[in-house]
Amino acid sequence: MDKAGWRLDRTQAEAWLADLLRAGRSVYAPVERNGMRAFGAVVAPGDVTFAEGKTRFSPKEHVFPRTEVLFRYQLDNAGVTLSDPPPDTAERVLFAVRPCDAAGLVRLDGVLADDPFYAARRERTVVVTLGCDEPAPECFCTAVDGAPHGTEGSDVELLPAPDGILVRPLTPKGQALTSISAAGWPAASAQDWEQAAERGRTAAAAILRQPVAKEWAARLESNFESPTWSGIGERCLGCSICAYVCPSCSCFDVQDEGGASCGERCRNWDACSFRQFTAHASGHNPRGDQPARYRQRLLHKFGYYPARGSGQWMCVGCGRCVTLCPVGIDIHEAVRVVMAAQPEKR
Amino acid sequence: MVTRPSVLPAMPAAAVPAQDWQPTIVAIVCNWCTYAGADMAGTTRLVYPASVRMLRVPCTGRMSPLFVLRAFERGADGVLLSGCHPGDCHYVHGNLYARRRFASFRALLDFMGLDARRFHVSWVSAAEGAKWAKVVTDVTAAVRAAGPLKGWGRLAADGKLPWLPAPPPPPRGTPAAGDQQAIAGHLRALCQQLLEQGKVQQVLGYRPGTLPGRMVPALIGRPEDAKLLDWSDQCHTDLAVYLAGAQRLAGKIGIVVKACDARALNGLLQEAQVRREDLTVIGVSCPGVLDASSLALKCYACDGEVAASCDYTVLPAGAQPGAVGSGARRAVAADPRDAQIEFLSRLPAAERWAFWQAQFDACIRCYACRAVCPYCYCGTCITEKSQPQWIPTTIDGKGNTAWNFIRAYHLAGRCVGCDECSRVCPAGLRLDLLNRRIALEMERRFDYRAGETMDGGPPLAAFQPDDPQEFIY
Repeated sequence: MDKAGWRLDRTQAEAWLADLLRAGRSVYAPVERNGMRAFGAVVAPGDVTFAEGKTRFSPKEHVFPRTEVLFRYQLDNAGVTLSDPPPDTAERVLFAVRPCDAAGLVRLDGVLADDPFYAARRERTVVVTLGCDEPAPECFCTAVDGAPHGTEGSDVELLPAPDGILVRPLTPKGQALTSISAAGWPAASAQDWEQAAERGRTAAAAILRQPVAKEWAARLESNFESPTWSGIGERCLGCSICAYVCPSCSCFDVQDEGGASCGERCRNWDACSFRQFTAHASGHNPRGDQPARYRQRLLHKFGYYPARGSGQWMCVGCGRCVTLCPVGIDIHEAVRVVMAAQPEKR
Repeated sequence: MVTRPSVLPAMPAAAVPAQDWQPTIVAIVCNWCTYAGADMAGTTRLVYPASVRMLRVPCTGRMSPLFVLRAFERGADGVLLSGCHPGDCHYVHGNLYARRRFASFRALLDFMGLDARRFHVSWVSAAEGAKWAKVVTDVTAAVRAAGPLKGWGRLAADGKLPWLPAPPPPPRGTPAAGDQQAIAGHLRALCQQLLEQGKVQQVLGYRPGTLPGRMVPALIGRPEDAKLLDWSDQCHTDLAVYLAGAQRLAGKIGIVVKACDARALNGLLQEAQVRREDLTVIGVSCPGVLDASSLALKCYACDGEVAASCDYTVLPAGAQPGAVGSGARRAVAADPRDAQIEFLSRLPAAERWAFWQAQFDACIRCYACRAVCPYCYCGTCITEKSQPQWIPTTIDGKGNTAWNFIRAYHLAGRCVGCDECSRVCPAGLRLDLLNRRIALEMERRFDYRAGETMDGGPPLAAFQPDDPQEFIY
């Protein structure tokens, strides 16, 4: 099988990054920041850390920022003036994105594609994925239709190879990105790709978590009133780490910040685990406790969306929520527990 | 009221030549003394700089750090708080409570790296028009010297950050696996017994999580489930968090506590959030927990002996009623957080400011710090209150600075240093240092260590007529 593409060593890869920066692209890649690896703006190509597992946060904030201004208002003697924030025209490259995170961007597209701010940013974003050869204990991409070498949402695929990386563009956007530097690159052999694919299969085999079966989507929902939920969610403390580190969570809140004479309307990340997320002005809260809120989170990802939307899980199996949950709630395990519970009589 | 733009205009600092620059200072004054004093200054035709915008409140006791944060956030270069002299308060004690609060948030502002020349407190009586004129003149000079405030909620322009010194090696090795297994066995037996005897309806303990080595909170209701309980150096969660606030458990609860958790429990009892008679406190003689693979910083100075308040002590040798010493004589060392605080405190304020702004910039406002804190039990958190919205909702430098400041401040005199907020923070913020800095201030000023006693109240809910006030004009 000939996949063409190239085989670069670290120096050539860095030269490519340097070319991208020179070409005016804003490159975001795993860099060391505040003592942890995160998707940060690359200033010098040497900053990028390639193969050391996942970053702490997913790269979603570069297309769906934590906070963004929707418009500004000003009130003076002339009346009310509304103004748009300056358009974000950066040509972004998300570099060395893990396949789970790239799949997460596709999930975000499903929800936010019609949003002009998101769409404009996403349109100008090229995703360069880096296949994963070292799945961590929390990883379960293979359980939700992903793979350590998956290419969903990828414009350019990178695969780790001994002493370097294999590169091949997958989309016209990706082609445009590689063509900036590809003139002198050494070609990769079919054997290179086959060896890389073998490492991918080994990585996939190292993920031991059981697949989530497609037919579970409807059954999870039919277990809505199961007492199991309270056992799962009772230790949830109601922070939003799970949602904010999630590559596919897309909920937001809209708030006005400012005073009577001037201010901004902002869109901020929000999460279903917060009490206020569904609190009514009357005081009533349809999701009155943490188990109910956790059920919402799980059903959103494994019930409602897959059963009624695209048929895809809204979870990509990166496992960040499992690692970072202060009380160790494991969403994959929770699905299993709910499925193991006696189905409700209807 | 303070959101009105005429009160707090943004200062167009860049457009004004430096030598003519007048700072914008927000003076928050009490109605009965300082406001009248300023009036006196006016009627006696005293001349003083026109740099202050006055905000009148009933009493210094009403002055919240939220006012101060908002003023800086909206462009003030300096803030002056002023009210009646001790003994003269119209409401008898308002200014005495306020004095303790001013001292603690002044310490926190300073630790965050705010230039000390920007924040001032004074006592000015209704008769002291001349003193008011002098205070305003002095404060204006100080703020002028500090220059326009540009960095509130912004990262340092040059991107250079001080690096905290690494902590010294821990004073003792990691806990012996055999001891931990023995403790786990005794815990299981004791909890099963308590459940069988009906002394407790539920036990709060730990059990293995789904990831290798992880321990997660466990809520056990049936005696036969007690076998799920476990113990290791990964039992991080301060389980007292489940005793107050939205997650509060009902009924008779048996709770497994480490030495730090027991202090949190004392605090909750002191604040009347939990009834002692509903609790059976099972103290584990704790050799320490690990952060990654090394002893957690909070454990360096802690010998892990169970608190006197425990109903049972679980030792590797067995479970016993009452609080029992382990006889283990675990090696302790100076609290390494203190050395890091000392390091930051010695830096120039601007560098400290850059450090904390970079920290706050990383904050994603997941509120995990609040969620895991036993003391964050408010039904509605200040950050959720929207009339007015004191803490900006935006997940950026401005909103995050206000949030992280106020979270730490609300724990003044209460935080026992379990460091759970820091451990769970996905962005790695050193919230433990903010908490510990205020705790040290409480210790220094009021000789108070949170969680060590249930007598009296937290220091900010009390006062002494002669509390130190060296920072007040």
